[in-house]
Amino acid sequence: MIEAMPTFYLFVLAALGAALLPKGSMRAALLLLVPVLAALQIWSLPEGNLYQVELLGQQLELMRVDKLSRVFGLIFCIAAFLGNLYAWHIKDTVQQIAAVLYSGSAIGAVFAGDLVTLFFYWEGTAIASVFLIWARRTEGAYHTGMRYLIIQITSGVILLAGTALLYRETGSIAFEQMTLGSLATWLIFLSFGMKCAFPFLHNWLQDSYPAATITGTVILSAFTTKLAVYALARGFAGTEMLIYIGAVMTLFPIFFAEIENDLRRVLAYSLNNQLGFMVVGIGVGTEMALNGTASHAFAHILYKALLFMSVGAVLLRTGTSKASELGGLCRTMPRTALFCLIGAASISAFPLFSGFVTKSLIMDETANEHYPIIWAILVFASAGVLSHSGIKIPYFTFFGHDSGLRPKEAPWNMQLAMGITAFLCIFIGVYPDPLYALLPYDVVYKPYTTNHVIAQLQLLCFALLAFAVLMRSGIHPPEIRAVNLDVDWIYRRLIPKLYRPIAALIGLIWTALSEAALKNLGQFQNLLYRWHSPETGMARVRPTGAMVIWVAILLAVTLIASYF
Amino acid sequence: MDKNHPEDTSGYSPLAKLFVWFATPANANKIFAALIALCLLLFLSDFTYKKYGHFPIEKIPGFYGAYGFIMFTALILAAKTLRLFIKRDEAYYGEKSVDREEYPADQLEMGQHND
Repeated sequence: MIEAMPTFYLFVLAALGAALLPKGSMRAALLLLVPVLAALQIWSLPEGNLYQVELLGQQLELMRVDKLSRVFGLIFCIAAFLGNLYAWHIKDTVQQIAAVLYSGSAIGAVFAGDLVTLFFYWEGTAIASVFLIWARRTEGAYHTGMRYLIIQITSGVILLAGTALLYRETGSIAFEQMTLGSLATWLIFLSFGMKCAFPFLHNWLQDSYPAATITGTVILSAFTTKLAVYALARGFAGTEMLIYIGAVMTLFPIFFAEIENDLRRVLAYSLNNQLGFMVVGIGVGTEMALNGTASHAFAHILYKALLFMSVGAVLLRTGTSKASELGGLCRTMPRTALFCLIGAASISAFPLFSGFVTKSLIMDETANEHYPIIWAILVFASAGVLSHSGIKIPYFTFFGHDSGLRPKEAPWNMQLAMGITAFLCIFIGVYPDPLYALLPYDVVYKPYTTNHVIAQLQLLCFALLAFAVLMRSGIHPPEIRAVNLDVDWIYRRLIPKLYRPIAALIGLIWTALSEAALKNLGQFQNLLYRWHSPETGMARVRPTGAMVIWVAILLAVTLIASYF
Repeated sequence: MDKNHPEDTSGYSPLAKLFVWFATPANANKIFAALIALCLLLFLSDFTYKKYGHFPIEKIPGFYGAYGFIMFTALILAAKTLRLFIKRDEAYYGEKSVDREEYPADQLEMGQHND
């Protein structure tokens, strides 16, 4: 039974179940059970196109299982499980149903064998996920959610337009490898790029993730962008432009992350930077590079969730995630601090942690394929990752200046979720073979060579040394309460600013026109008045007596006339 | 923290006590010295094995260390400069923007260590 059904249906059933069950541990347990069942199903399914439906004469492929979709499907199940465990204490039905439908849609999209099915799930992730932002229930979150939703839905609409054009061109809606060229493929590429946070299309990410609820951000961080990475890997592997786009993506967020105060936004920038590595891998497009992208997405979902979880736990206990207000929390939240350090070491790619065995696949392959500048950028970006995710997040939260805050340790379910995630980060780092076995192609790579380990340690330790020197000399920029402008300024400030004069101009024209119309109306009124007003002959009311006199006169005249 | 009055850590867990040692300003110099020693060791170890790499520059001893140190410093300085241009008041996008608002208190579970 379970084999025959698209994985998404499991999540729909769970959403229905969650709506019917009372709030509490029964419902929370159901939300934990579903990703486990889904993972078992994905694990046991054979490869191939397993489930079709007819829609308007088109055959839709709902379950295309191969090694690429399987590895993404599995990590999405793990992320859903960990996210729901982290959110065990949540009693908010909206968030729970949104989370289960969101993760289900993302998994559905991964197994979509055609672009129409992909479109449905693509929009499904958009609609379900916005409720994780709105669930904060503040005016700010409402507006941010709206901006998020507009961009996500637009991405879907562009995907649909591209699909329609592609169908007209080729007569097929199959979701296969594409080459950029026609308007259709460019539209699909753009749609993927919006969700993947390409430069200039990225800002929905940093705008919305810090606005979501504590648990919502953890869940958001896993799916949307990695779904886009999957879609790019499936549709545009080997597209050289992606190498350059990816390199820019690794680069620019590290500067913004460095001076950002809200730690959840720092992590959103950092997420953007990590996506860059994956996009470079897709652009290089060799088997090893695609292995690198898939494995890095896998490892990244875990350590990024772990970092969001630790900052979320701090937010839950202190009410803030701003670096300027935090510091010294290792005293009373030591386990959260430890988990955060493990996440930080993983994202920074310290040997024995997950990032080390996955990122290097991509970096190695850019060197193998002779992209020296891209390689140099990626090495620089790796040092940049250390600066904001490796150092800034743990240092300014748990160490550094003592803020005097002495909050309670995180709740048990959050600690358990962080503990499992941290374990997986280390497990992958120490023993990468099971992950390598899941990858789309055979892995012929040994991450633990003297050369690689020493090189990476040198890079990271000297960067740490630079941090220490800059802190001691007071050059390192302090954490201050502020916002930093980014591309969202264009649609949050510039466009409203531009349309204000335009609106004023339209207002002026309207006033002039209506005044002229009123003036003409006045003249018309005067004309009417002249003819019909009480003073004019037309409107005079004559007394009945006058009429009688006139009748008498007329009769008299007639009488007199008759005598002649 | 005053060097002569070490922090009272009696209520903390062993892990927290370990962390506090690292967070204590009095120990900063020791940590810094250890980090320098570690970096020196890593640099020297470059002479002990045969280096290979895709690019000739990777074979220079200490290349990764120098690159890491220089680029990290450059990153911080560039970010600091960037801040001059893009920093705005927290209320720039309005008093009711997410940056400005408090996280809703009914969704928090704040509590003190000793509760």
